[in-house]
Amino acid sequence: MTMALLPLTALDAVRPPPGGVPAGVARDPLGAGRRRVRNGLLAGLGGVAAAAALAWVLRPGPSRAAGTDDGAPDDGGSTVRAGRRLNRAAALLGASVLADSAVEHYRGSFHNPAMITPLLASGATIAASLHGSLDRRPRAHRFRDATYAAAALTGIAGTAFHLCNVTRRPGGLSWLNLFYGAPIGAPAAIGLAGLLGFAAERVRHGPDGPPSVAGLPAPQVLTVLSAAGILGTVAETALLHFRGAYHNPAMYLPVTIPPAAAAVLLRTLWHDGPGPRRAARLAMRATAGLGLLGTGFHAFGVHRNMGGWGNWRQNILNGPPLPAPPSYTALAFAGLAALALRDEVAGSGREQGDGR
Amino acid sequence: MSDRYPGYDVLAKRDGLSWNDKTREVVGRRLAVGIDDHRFFDEAEWGVLRALCDRILPQPPERERPVPVAALLDLRLREGPGDGNRDVALPPTDVAWKRALAALDAESRQAQGRGFPDLTPAEQDALLRDMQEGRLAGPAWQGMAPKTFFSARLLYDLVGLYYAHPAAWSEIGFGGPASPRGYVRMGFDGRDPWEAAEAAPGREDAARRENRHVR
Amino acid sequence: MSDERPGGGDPAEAPRACHGRAPDVFVPGGWVPMREHGEDEPVDFAIVGTGAGGGTLACKLAEAGFSVVAFDAGAYWRPLEDFASDEMEQQKLYWTDDRLCDGELPLKLGANNSGKAVGGSTVHFAMVSLRFRPDWFKSRSRLGYGADWPIDWREMWRYYAEVERALQISGPVTYPWGPKRPRYPRRPHELNAAAQVLAAGAEALGIGWSSTPLATLSSPHGKAPPCVYRGFCVTGCSTNAKQSVLNTWLPRALAAGAEIRDLAMVGRVETDRRGLATGVHYCREGRWRFQRALNVVVAGYAIETPRLLLNSASGLFPDGLANSSGLVGRNLMVQLNQAVWGRMDREVRSYKGPPSLALTEHWNYTDEGKDFHGGYCYMSQGPLPIVWARTLSGRGLWGEALMREMADYNHSVGLKMVGECLPDERNRVTLADETDRYGLRIPRITYGFGDNEKRMIRHALDFMGRALEAAGARGVWEQDDDTCHLNGTARMGEDPATSVVNADCRSWDVPNLWICDGSVFPTVGGVNPSLTIQAVACRTGDRIAALARRGEL
Repeated sequence: MTMALLPLTALDAVRPPPGGVPAGVARDPLGAGRRRVRNGLLAGLGGVAAAAALAWVLRPGPSRAAGTDDGAPDDGGSTVRAGRRLNRAAALLGASVLADSAVEHYRGSFHNPAMITPLLASGATIAASLHGSLDRRPRAHRFRDATYAAAALTGIAGTAFHLCNVTRRPGGLSWLNLFYGAPIGAPAAIGLAGLLGFAAERVRHGPDGPPSVAGLPAPQVLTVLSAAGILGTVAETALLHFRGAYHNPAMYLPVTIPPAAAAVLLRTLWHDGPGPRRAARLAMRATAGLGLLGTGFHAFGVHRNMGGWGNWRQNILNGPPLPAPPSYTALAFAGLAALALRDEVAGSGREQGDGR
Repeated sequence: MSDRYPGYDVLAKRDGLSWNDKTREVVGRRLAVGIDDHRFFDEAEWGVLRALCDRILPQPPERERPVPVAALLDLRLREGPGDGNRDVALPPTDVAWKRALAALDAESRQAQGRGFPDLTPAEQDALLRDMQEGRLAGPAWQGMAPKTFFSARLLYDLVGLYYAHPAAWSEIGFGGPASPRGYVRMGFDGRDPWEAAEAAPGREDAARRENRHVR
Repeated sequence: MSDERPGGGDPAEAPRACHGRAPDVFVPGGWVPMREHGEDEPVDFAIVGTGAGGGTLACKLAEAGFSVVAFDAGAYWRPLEDFASDEMEQQKLYWTDDRLCDGELPLKLGANNSGKAVGGSTVHFAMVSLRFRPDWFKSRSRLGYGADWPIDWREMWRYYAEVERALQISGPVTYPWGPKRPRYPRRPHELNAAAQVLAAGAEALGIGWSSTPLATLSSPHGKAPPCVYRGFCVTGCSTNAKQSVLNTWLPRALAAGAEIRDLAMVGRVETDRRGLATGVHYCREGRWRFQRALNVVVAGYAIETPRLLLNSASGLFPDGLANSSGLVGRNLMVQLNQAVWGRMDREVRSYKGPPSLALTEHWNYTDEGKDFHGGYCYMSQGPLPIVWARTLSGRGLWGEALMREMADYNHSVGLKMVGECLPDERNRVTLADETDRYGLRIPRITYGFGDNEKRMIRHALDFMGRALEAAGARGVWEQDDDTCHLNGTARMGEDPATSVVNADCRSWDVPNLWICDGSVFPTVGGVNPSLTIQAVACRTGDRIAALARRGEL
């Protein structure tokens, strides 16, 4: 998904104008508006880079010595594996948010400086999550905790901003403004990435007893969190695919498969057992696959707009959003991590081969 | 007013995604018209028409290639289509134009003793205002209503021809041709990177920099 | 550039639809197969005109199994390759043959009220697709003005839905006015700044507003991409997002076996001694030809239709065909198209997007506080430079004053009405003595406003002016000279003495002669007519099929 961002960072400054460059023009500094837009994008990337650098400085010491790959026994116990899995899910969700908010806020020309925030927050989330996924120590990390908390707060603040944007438009909270105003559901994704990461940190506290989040059993909390995230994403998909009049039957896939998958996942909470868990795992994998398939469909959608990919400067913005579908993949990964954690807690919490 | 969109040239987009082949072809033909190209009007009419166009659509003196309004009219009357309606107070368009130019010159000689091209701009404007307000009634009009001609033909035709030219589009910050690429940012103050940037007072340089990247 | 094969040259000079194929409007240089009909073999229907009336009816009749040949004086364009983003070039879509205009208000014809192309004026219409207020179908008996339609609104409601599906109208999820209607097939478009001005003004004055139901796609459909908001809609859509007759009904008609003859000017409907139509004389490639037909449909819009009927006078019909009532050419109705304009401090750039993305029908559905009959809606506007400059020069501006105003182009914003004119027999189309290049007498159009129109204009300009100011516009001024659309001149009705055709668009005098376009409107209402014309055509198609089944053709 971050790939989708790359052409945008290249934006216009890099492309020479057709028909040659008048002397002294190409090297001119950018104009104000362009500068604002580019600053926004650079800020996002800068956030990622700074956080990554910080992650490197604070990198976990003993990890390299402990094992060479995931399958090897490690020093953190099974809950650390689950935590790292969750870190990875948070990273993927963060990447989806980074790309999506970069594209959408570029479309909005970063007219409000606050529009840079989600780029910074998601960039930091990615970095913290990558850091976490390399960290095999069985405890939370203060830097990661702070980052995830900031992401969660960004989600809340963003939702408020977007709600304000929608209600301020003529027509207020109407279909038209839900379609074309700031998407109310979108900032929730960065909040969700923060919550997943936060949960990942709590899970790492494993060795003393069953992992818990805010006093509740972590596997169950994560199951609910993943399912709720999927259902929230379904709601946004349903709205936007309704805006697109479901013109392609494939547009029904993300509003049928993920909710069913979320239901199967939730069902394991009161109908537990190897069968329901296997079904839930299958459902989560299907949802994860759908997320990737969705980006493929959206790429096709961009091609169907006037001018196709050749007109990418318009169609990336006006066509179906490329970075949106992978949030299903990220949430499904979180669901899988929750299931694995439950397997491991149920299997008396000691070393056993990493199922799948 | 010419620095409202400093440095913006709609033609910078000519080879880009905003212009399709058909547009390049038809605007290219228009751009090839020379300032002095005329075959429909004779030399006397041409002189009056050139002077008239300069008053109706005054162009910045520093413009390197002024919009050839008179030549575009000549071309249109030579080969262009009509426009689907004709006020019964007017003869067919080609006849009406020739008659009006001759009559305007005659009115000028009558009032000032000089032809229309030889009047000062202020005198020309005064005569045109007389025409616009129906105060001319010399025999050269041959029954055609100068007032009707002024609004229904003279302004209608010349203004249409001027604003069919890329230089005029650049002047007013119009995005120009737009196909296959259209627009994305539709709201207030929404500007796509391929649109003209308007200069805030005192910030012409910033707009000029943005406009250099329009393509 | 030139193509050796038939139909490969300049589409305005040489016909494209011939030799068993017609242009594929979705593919540059593409073709679709077309069935052809012999001239001596009478076809079931010869249709004159392929616009909102004729093109739609050609599709319906072909799909019902009739043999159909549809004629159009204009060219058969492929929008993707033939349309420039250029106001001047695209005048090729307008009917620019000479017409004489007189009366108290000599009409301005050509650009915004008539088309000459396969697909008719829908090729350059503004795509505004509104239903009549139900009461208007009985405005004489229910509202006390105009004339009643011989059709019930509930029946029309069904045909409106059919057209809205065929054109994949993009419209609001719920429409604020009138009886319930099915959901529009596509969702509304985003509002541009000009439309947001309308919305803000309406909210400030406490009336309802809506995104406009538009015949341009908000999501892909078939081979057509969604709208790219290029803003050149009224000069022809070069992306096919616009759902015109050219790229909706006509491809269907061709697939169902209809033949279309482009660059074919019909000059006369022939009738025999029994008083029945036998076919049409038409000029194509410089030659006059004759197509025999069992039925003739005239669908040339409100000027060319009466012109053709009057030009087809014969010994049996000395006053023109279908004219025993004397009403052919009478009751011409334009629509009021006055506007208010002003300047916003912020950039509006109304050249982006379809020109009328928002509207209010408040004054169509509210009768309190009016000192006039009928109604009007008003819409946001997006004039391109030539239209805008001519609007300003219409105020008498030229020279430096004009240039100064034009410099504010990107800040200008306006609201424009579509208002109902009442039928008046003095407003009419007659034949002038001058002839055109075909040797046909050209039409003379006589028009003037009545007191009702003047009162409505005053009301609308006052209201729109307040709305525009309430939305923050400064320097508001009125444009009071514009009109749009053409209807009437061959009205439908229930009495042969007071109408030209019956509810089925069948002429009272010549039973195998039909008229199917805006001419048949007894009243015009306060909305753009294209959706209603197409709905009437759909109904006519169904009625003809039903009559044929009963052996009553």
